[in-house]
Amino acid sequence: MMINLGRLKPILRWLAIPMVVLGFSDYPSGMLFQSARAEDAGNLYNTAVDIRMGNRYFERQCSRCHGFDAKGNDETGAPNLTGRLRRASSDAGIFNIIREGVPGTAMLPVAADVPDATVWQLVAYINSLRYDPLSVELAGDAETGGRLFNGKADCSRCHMVNGQGGRLGPDLTRIGENKTPEDLLLSLMDPDQEVAPRWWTVRAAGIDGVIREGFRMNEDSFSLRIMDTDSNLWSFQKRELENYERLEKSTMPSYAESLSDGELDNLVAYLFSLRREVLPQ
Amino acid sequence: MKHATALFLSVFMTAIAGAQEDQFSTVITPAFSPITWERLVDAHNEPNNWLMYSGTLDSQRYSLLDSISTHNVDQLEMKWAYQIPVIDRAETVPLVVDGIMFITEAPSNVVAVDARTGREYWRYDHEMPDDLRICCGRNNRGVAILGETLFMSTLDAHLVAIDARTGNLLWNAEVAPHDSGYSKTAAPLIVKDKVVTGIAGGEFGIRGFIDAYDPVTGEREWRTYVIPGPGEFGNDTWSGDSWKTGGAATWITGSYDADLNQIYWGTGNPGPDWNGDVRLGDNLYSDSVVALDGDSGEIVWHFQFTPHDVHDYDSIQVPILADIEFKGRQRQVMMWANRNGFYYTLDRSNGEFLIGKPYAAQTWAQGLDPVTGRPIRVPGMAPTYEGIMVSPPIVGATNWYSPGYSQDTGFFYVTSFDGEQEFFKRDEDYEEGERFTGGGGRYTSPIDAFHSSIRAINPETAEIEWEFPIMPRSSAGITTTAGGLVFTGSADGYFFALDASSGEELWNISLGRRVHAAPMTFAVDGEQFVTIASGNVVYTFGLRN
Repeated sequence: MMINLGRLKPILRWLAIPMVVLGFSDYPSGMLFQSARAEDAGNLYNTAVDIRMGNRYFERQCSRCHGFDAKGNDETGAPNLTGRLRRASSDAGIFNIIREGVPGTAMLPVAADVPDATVWQLVAYINSLRYDPLSVELAGDAETGGRLFNGKADCSRCHMVNGQGGRLGPDLTRIGENKTPEDLLLSLMDPDQEVAPRWWTVRAAGIDGVIREGFRMNEDSFSLRIMDTDSNLWSFQKRELENYERLEKSTMPSYAESLSDGELDNLVAYLFSLRREVLPQ
Repeated sequence: MKHATALFLSVFMTAIAGAQEDQFSTVITPAFSPITWERLVDAHNEPNNWLMYSGTLDSQRYSLLDSISTHNVDQLEMKWAYQIPVIDRAETVPLVVDGIMFITEAPSNVVAVDARTGREYWRYDHEMPDDLRICCGRNNRGVAILGETLFMSTLDAHLVAIDARTGNLLWNAEVAPHDSGYSKTAAPLIVKDKVVTGIAGGEFGIRGFIDAYDPVTGEREWRTYVIPGPGEFGNDTWSGDSWKTGGAATWITGSYDADLNQIYWGTGNPGPDWNGDVRLGDNLYSDSVVALDGDSGEIVWHFQFTPHDVHDYDSIQVPILADIEFKGRQRQVMMWANRNGFYYTLDRSNGEFLIGKPYAAQTWAQGLDPVTGRPIRVPGMAPTYEGIMVSPPIVGATNWYSPGYSQDTGFFYVTSFDGEQEFFKRDEDYEEGERFTGGGGRYTSPIDAFHSSIRAINPETAEIEWEFPIMPRSSAGITTTAGGLVFTGSADGYFFALDASSGEELWNISLGRRVHAAPMTFAVDGEQFVTIASGNVVYTFGLRN
């Protein structure tokens, strides 16, 4: 269905941040550095110019692994840097990872002769890929949205939050950390817009001739694992399948018609609140 | 008295020796023997050993070993595993010389192990500076051997010679300054009495070349730049001074034809990769194959697959040489599936284009000129500031991983990828030792949404004879055998065997980590083995006893 982008505007009033690309210089681990580890005293290099400089450095040095949009790369194992970072929770933490690399991974330290200022500009750029959730003003009410989630919209039938709910969709316990309110609204209105391969549907006829349909939990060159709607787990060797087909669509219904604008606002507010830190109401 | 004792001992020892001969009737010989140039030329007929990166000088990766065959390949089992201590992806293709296997490791180390057991004889750890400039991980793909010496490229852009019996360093030659962006990852190629080797660094504005070194002294014998200098043919295919930083790295191993005395080597992308505005022209000899005189290193002919490339379509593929019947005539050909999505058969004696067709998804060219083989471009497919979708993506329809050829089927085998990517252009100034790429790319679909396969191509028709789908994109090489088999691996961590004639799956094993390397096969005491690196482990398989 077509998305009415006009309806996004009253819901979201947050700063649009340029999303671009970055990469890290390749250097071997175990090297000695002149620069010391950073302590968490804040980043002095965080002006718009610094972010732009960090962006340019990222595109040039880091994007090969992390992608031109900094959204990571499954092939290189480089993580998405646009959401909450798994290994750093502060500016100093990001600085230290860039300076020292991550041992045992392909993330090598930045060159020893790269000035600290450049690394801080990279930190500023990476930070700019996210946004402070406190800067977001949402029209909806999260508490009301939570009731909707478990009630009329029946989201919990398929989705878990904090261990409660169904298994037929992604766990949403921390969905607010990695999705913008805009992403969340788009997912509610047009679930087929972006479907992770984990949630594609596969229909396969096994050696017993029975056709089974389920979520594509994992597929490789020779085998396939699915979970059907009764949460049964199945593993197949492809050569033993009589046939199988793959549907790269979501099983989630669109809520564009079944919920009002206000209800959608509330649901988005609830989903956006699903994060580690508590947002003030 | 002394004499009496000596006589007694002598008689006693003779008696003992006689008893041993009776008891141990099997004669055992020491492992390893020196590798002469003649043995390298005749490597096809010494299939118990794997004497160079691509197996033989023609790089067919075809082994005459046939005790593992289509009939029993499903009886393969793991014989041993060797864990590489430094965690990075293993792209090594080991050599085997009379029962000893030489395995290279990240970043630039080599270990010698018993090929039957994987247990170590010695290891060489290369001393490395702390200011390397490497684009794509700490990789090393293998060594070359001549006499009793191994030759290895190192990430700090050196070439080292190592005693094959002890691991002692014999010499260590700087090929190019690493802090300017040069590095080395590929196995050298022995050509007669020289060590021929390329250079990496195409993302750092280097000027690519191919070198030859004296195997005894480490002195450089010749250097051939693959970007011509002022006054040389082709220099005018670079606007202004762009030739000085034009890349064209030679970062994979070439091939050699002893009869024609020609060395064949692929060249990488022009730099900066994605912004061609600063290097107008065809940019010779980037994205080409060059044929060099086997003695002088002079360029005899060249064929440029992608003139003025703006998509990073390196011609860094291993040239496969064979003599085949082509349209009723016996031809000395070179087979080449390029990163740009087209397959080519060339006459390797003179570089004549014989046939070429797409073998994978591509949107950047309408086709190839039927006479010259030059691509006919689709207008408006160059990277933009806003991004433009083009196929193949940056990683290519194939890449550096070795293709294979079977003398039995006459097919050429290649790991292929039908992907697409959004390409971006950026303005960048060259700074020595810094990346100089002028843009980049991004996928807009998950990798699982794309199609990958092993494809068998008929070099006479350039048609695909069969394909075996794999997922997701693989970066494994291919080896074929007289047992009717194609061995290769996949990104999802499988090592598997296909029927070379039909592409039918015959055997697979999940090794759990991505295969970034090509398989090789060898025999010890008449027993055939197959070896592949997966993740950080080198696995060796043989038939169940």
